[in-house]
Amino acid sequence: MSVPLARRQLLFRKGRSLAGVAGIAAALLLVLALNAIFAGINDRLTAYIDRSGADVIVAQRGVDTMHMTQSALPEQAAAAIASLPGVAEAKPILYVPAMIEGGEERGIAYLIGDDSGGAPLPIASGRRPRAGEIVLERTLAERLAVGTGSSVRAFGQDFRVSGEVDGLASILNSVALVRRQDLARLLGSVGVVSYIFVRAQPEIGAGELAARIQASVPGVTASTRAAFASSERRVVGDMTTDIVRAMILVGFVIGVAVAGLVAYSVTLSQIRDYAVLRALGLRVRSALALAVAQVGATVAAGFLLALALVWLLAGLLPRLTPTLVLAIRAADVALALVVAGAVALAAAAFPVVRVARVDPASVFRR
Amino acid sequence: MESTLVRIRDLAKAFGEGETRVEAVRGLDLELERGEIVLVMGPSGSGKTTFLSMLGGLLRVSAGEIWIDGTNIAALGERELPPFRARTFGFIFQDFNLVAALSARENVEVALNIAGERGHPARERARSLLESMGLTGRLGFPVEKLSGGEKQRVAIARAIANRPVLILADEPTANLDSHHGAETMRLLRELAKEEGATVVIVSHDERLREVADRVLWLEDGRFKTLQALVRDPVCGMLIDPDAAPASLDRDGERLSFCSRGCRDEFLAR
Repeated sequence: MSVPLARRQLLFRKGRSLAGVAGIAAALLLVLALNAIFAGINDRLTAYIDRSGADVIVAQRGVDTMHMTQSALPEQAAAAIASLPGVAEAKPILYVPAMIEGGEERGIAYLIGDDSGGAPLPIASGRRPRAGEIVLERTLAERLAVGTGSSVRAFGQDFRVSGEVDGLASILNSVALVRRQDLARLLGSVGVVSYIFVRAQPEIGAGELAARIQASVPGVTASTRAAFASSERRVVGDMTTDIVRAMILVGFVIGVAVAGLVAYSVTLSQIRDYAVLRALGLRVRSALALAVAQVGATVAAGFLLALALVWLLAGLLPRLTPTLVLAIRAADVALALVVAGAVALAAAAFPVVRVARVDPASVFRR
Repeated sequence: MESTLVRIRDLAKAFGEGETRVEAVRGLDLELERGEIVLVMGPSGSGKTTFLSMLGGLLRVSAGEIWIDGTNIAALGERELPPFRARTFGFIFQDFNLVAALSARENVEVALNIAGERGHPARERARSLLESMGLTGRLGFPVEKLSGGEKQRVAIARAIANRPVLILADEPTANLDSHHGAETMRLLRELAKEEGATVVIVSHDERLREVADRVLWLEDGRFKTLQALVRDPVCGMLIDPDAAPASLDRDGERLSFCSRGCRDEFLAR
């Protein structure tokens, strides 16, 4: 048809059409935003590992994560690993989740102690920690309302803030860096380390080096940095998968309800038009296509609006809540598109049934 | 070309079954000539709308044949009927039945689109039809903003857009004032004569007798001879004296009434 009938009918009652688009957008936004939030958490979750400079991470046997995990290795393992061919550096670290207190405020952080004060992580302000000092992730420092020179407490011990690092916090965790000796003293774990971060010589691959360490040093699990980060993400992913699935289901149900209601009211208001068009000679399949096109266009507009809104949120939210980072991944957009398609299919059922039953002879009834 | 456009043979339509069965139309025979204007009148519930719906291919017949230009539409399948309707018929309705979301021009153009004519030729045809009906300044108007007379002219333009051989009009003047009613009658007359289209009008409007070549009276699902009908002296309705619900002998003359209410009202005068 050269007359854009579906578009005209959609735009005829703009208020109703816009309400439908907004409702569907809200439902799809739920799916998109939640996925983006969890993707953002995932990205930040491994930020410390990703930027650690290590090619291989060695942990106690059977351990390949940091989140909700403990690992204990004898300090001598670092020296054993450092002596292996292909190893450029073997840096032992101590790690423990800790409550950091600053005045009246408190915040949870991965407290990490190493001999380099967090190198090669860049220090955003101040300097690396020395004995009795601590470097806080910037959002943690803001929450505790402390800055360089301030004092905070961890495990009942005072630390002087020597600087800040940036981009390592999510809504689930933050990071604080101290000297390893300080943390060992606090934990009473002298001679024990949590992980060993290994840098490889240029001539050897991370996978090969991990295998060599695994074979040569007893009682350890050696993972490439990528594999370790992946395991870390999987732990949180396993915890959030059910939530995401539930929210997708909620989004789908709301989307179907809104789109179905819109399609229902729009179709009922247009039944007379359909009868007239059928009387004029419009085939049933063309009438059905007209009805489905309107549902499809409403859902497509809702999807695009949801996409625009989630992009807007991704830009705005981190400014308001720095730990809440939204990462929009192509796979999640594709998933929302699939949900939108399912919503459109389900919502189109009513108009299809109703329009198929339109009696063209009803045009003569008053 | 044969002068007879429509041949209807033993046409019947019944609704329901068993005790609820109603024969809305029965045993209708009719022939319509090309360019002829036929007015079908009759009381409410006489089967006029059922007849018009079957003639327009909108309602399946229970029995009989409807031959239009050599095609028995009673035998056409569900897939064949819509394109046949688009090419053959023009419909004019009491309530105009324009698509509110479309402009005046688009309402005409959409009928052309349905019949297979698209793009510029369809737009031009719609424009020229509306302009010929004095709607030059109303082409892009939403139909909701048009007056009743203008709406009916758009509806007539839509009805003739595909150059139909048969125009079916259901109470075309019922929602119009006398001026616009007369204008619509003139348009229908011109259409029949200039386009050679046969026009079947179903109406209660006596004024339409002026434009009709023939007036048919449909009552109880059958055509009756007008000469045999008498007029109710109270409400003016034409009725069959043999089937009148009430009658009265006065001064040697037999008066027939459409109802006992009319007879009582007559006696009370």
